[in-house]
Amino acid sequence: MTEVVIRTEGLVKDYGSVRALNGVDLQIERGEIFGFLGPNGAGKSTTIRVLLDLLRPTAGRAEVFGVAPAEGGAELRRRIGYLPGELAMRGRQTAGGLLEHLANLRGGFGSERIVPLAERFGLDLDRPIRGLSKGNKQKVGVVQAFMHAPELLILDEPSSGLDPLLQREFLDLVLEARDRGATVFMSSHVLSEIEDVAGRVAIIRAGEIVDLDDVRTLRHRAGQSVELEFADQVDVETFRRLPGVYDAAVDGTTLTCLLRGEPDVLLKAAANHRVIRWAAQDRELEDLFLDFYRMPVNDQAVEEVAADGR
Amino acid sequence: MAASTLPVLTGVVRDQRRSLVLWSLALAAVSAMYISFWPSLGDGAMEEAISSLPEEMVIAMGYDRIGTAAGYMTSTVYGLLAPILLLVFAISVGSRLVAGEEEDGSLELELTSPVGRGRVFAERLLALWLDVLLLVAALTAVSYLLVMAFDMEVGFTSVLAGAAGLYLLVIGMGTVALAVGAITGRRAAALGVAAALAVLAFIFDAIGPVADMGWMTAVSPFSWYLENDPLTNGFDVRGLLLLAIIPLVFGAAGLVRFDRRDLMV
Repeated sequence: MTEVVIRTEGLVKDYGSVRALNGVDLQIERGEIFGFLGPNGAGKSTTIRVLLDLLRPTAGRAEVFGVAPAEGGAELRRRIGYLPGELAMRGRQTAGGLLEHLANLRGGFGSERIVPLAERFGLDLDRPIRGLSKGNKQKVGVVQAFMHAPELLILDEPSSGLDPLLQREFLDLVLEARDRGATVFMSSHVLSEIEDVAGRVAIIRAGEIVDLDDVRTLRHRAGQSVELEFADQVDVETFRRLPGVYDAAVDGTTLTCLLRGEPDVLLKAAANHRVIRWAAQDRELEDLFLDFYRMPVNDQAVEEVAADGR
Repeated sequence: MAASTLPVLTGVVRDQRRSLVLWSLALAAVSAMYISFWPSLGDGAMEEAISSLPEEMVIAMGYDRIGTAAGYMTSTVYGLLAPILLLVFAISVGSRLVAGEEEDGSLELELTSPVGRGRVFAERLLALWLDVLLLVAALTAVSYLLVMAFDMEVGFTSVLAGAAGLYLLVIGMGTVALAVGAITGRRAAALGVAAALAVLAFIFDAIGPVADMGWMTAVSPFSWYLENDPLTNGFDVRGLLLLAIIPLVFGAAGLVRFDRRDLMV
């Protein structure tokens, strides 16, 4: 039987009169790399803060390893590694000094991994925290989250500030953690940041989970923006009718459309004309969010889009 | 090893060590300077100068007791400079240690570590109490050295009694700052409430005797500290007990609330 590591049921969180989470249901199993996507302000960090017992739920329930964060307390957090979204660190101490301090808070656990992890990410442990760039601070955050080899990693916007090479290194670290049996819950507002490693992905919008799927389906649903330039005028209607083709429009001899699914039908239709230029681009997740924003918020509409995607 | 038994406190004190040393030196230097004036004033010149001042001002500033060595030390150092400097230190540190670090987010990694919230609060409060203890110890050492050097008529017990009252007064206001910060999560509120309380206590202590309003000195922690002239009369148990109530009550209130509320790191 698979063990559920994170479970939320009808999780509601109000800040005063503002509802930040409006009934979030999540179930994340041991060994998963679970992506948590949404635009800024959608409730990602709020959900994470409830899991870490910084915030207490207004209604509903959250469980980590089967216990509510407030009940689990310090002992529960021993099993978690957390990388905050906005890492604030003060003081004139060095990066190494801060990491030693954080290891001390864990009873010294993980301090032997500070040096190898710092070397792996090219972090100079002797530099004072206050002089560090955003990227270097993020490295400190990564080291402290991983150093004690936790069973659960909660990573809030983890690769922000890391250059592409280190981002790759970071994702390798995530995969290694998964391979030794850890569960990873990582949030982002950009799909590309997590799509290479994440299995399932939930999309949160305005405090509600609007979609939950594996990452490949999601990418598929986002579709591609296709642009075809023909030698002659073409009839937009012949393209508009094609399955998987949306928002087809012709401007002079140029056709633009959104393509979901295989390009085969579109290509064959285009081949009836002389194509002089073509471009297809994966759409950003932001576009997918926009699709969701355009939709009325009800389950049926979500179902329709989901069905279209397959 | 201390690092494993009180990791939060260790981290705080390590962060502060430089400013702690500077504060100790400054406090000791200013106090030493004032106490060192005593030998040149000891021949009645001071009393002569005081007698020309309005009586109300003399009472308000506590100059009526300035003729003796203990009175002089109380009026200049123990009743004025030291409490002001120490209160500025304790209130600013107290408001920063929880609310300030919550507001700027630097408390986040500590609060998400396997250390309980109550423990974080308690160790940070303890760090504040330890800081003030260090500063008061520095002041006490310098004071007594000079008392001996200038052969002033102030007993060691009296110096200790003054230090005890001063210590409790200062950690009281510092604890108010830390606890209000832990309750509200707002540094400005913590600073404001504690500073207002400290200023009120000071004003009540000064005005009470002049205006003949006994209730003012009855409720002023500053009066609890100085009313019985600890540098002359030694330990005042009642005053010390009253002073001890403030850090204990506010510490407990802060602990209870900090454990329950949302933390906005």
